[in-house]
Amino acid sequence: MKNRLKVLRAERDWSQGDLAQRLEVSRQSVNAIETGKFDPSLPLAFKLARLFGLRIEEIFEDSGQ
Amino acid sequence: MSDRIKNPARDRMEDSTLFILMPLLVVNLGLVFWGFGYRHMHPSGIWAYIFAMAFALLGVAFIVIFGLYLKEEQDEFERAVWVQSLLWGIGATLTVVTLWGSFAEYALVKGLKMLFVFPLFMLITVVARLALKLRYR
Repeated sequence: MKNRLKVLRAERDWSQGDLAQRLEVSRQSVNAIETGKFDPSLPLAFKLARLFGLRIEEIFEDSGQ
Repeated sequence: MSDRIKNPARDRMEDSTLFILMPLLVVNLGLVFWGFGYRHMHPSGIWAYIFAMAFALLGVAFIVIFGLYLKEEQDEFERAVWVQSLLWGIGATLTVVTLWGSFAEYALVKGLKMLFVFPLFMLITVVARLALKLRYR
């Protein structure tokens, strides 16, 4: 699944470690989600959306569409 | 910010490893050396049970500690990688044991001792974990 995490992070000048701290997950988790290797669960996706003040579909793109 | 995220589940597992698994491992290694020295004495009765329990306890403790860790782990990615590693461990161990069993039954190969199945599973799981970590790096 494609996502805009890297762009959103860069806009806020956050490193992967910074985002990981805010989400209370490991940096590897953020990297895996960012590179599309791991799809987050709905609760984590909502947490990301709240953190960036966006809707989930504004962060993640359904590659099936 | 530090790369190390606060993770109570992992901290508890590390504490359990340090204070339960490591002492058990030391006891096991001691028993192995002692057992080699006294191999010809053939411990019997209560000593045979103590020997057997001491060896089995390490594996059982590992299963309990690791099960609790997986239950408590809040980082879903970490949990997913561990679950994938365990599935690789289970699949590969069953494959090896099944093949070995067939060879032992029909091709006169010496049978695999059941005592070695769990260490084999752990070894494969750890290798799978390292490979998956490299993939997700």
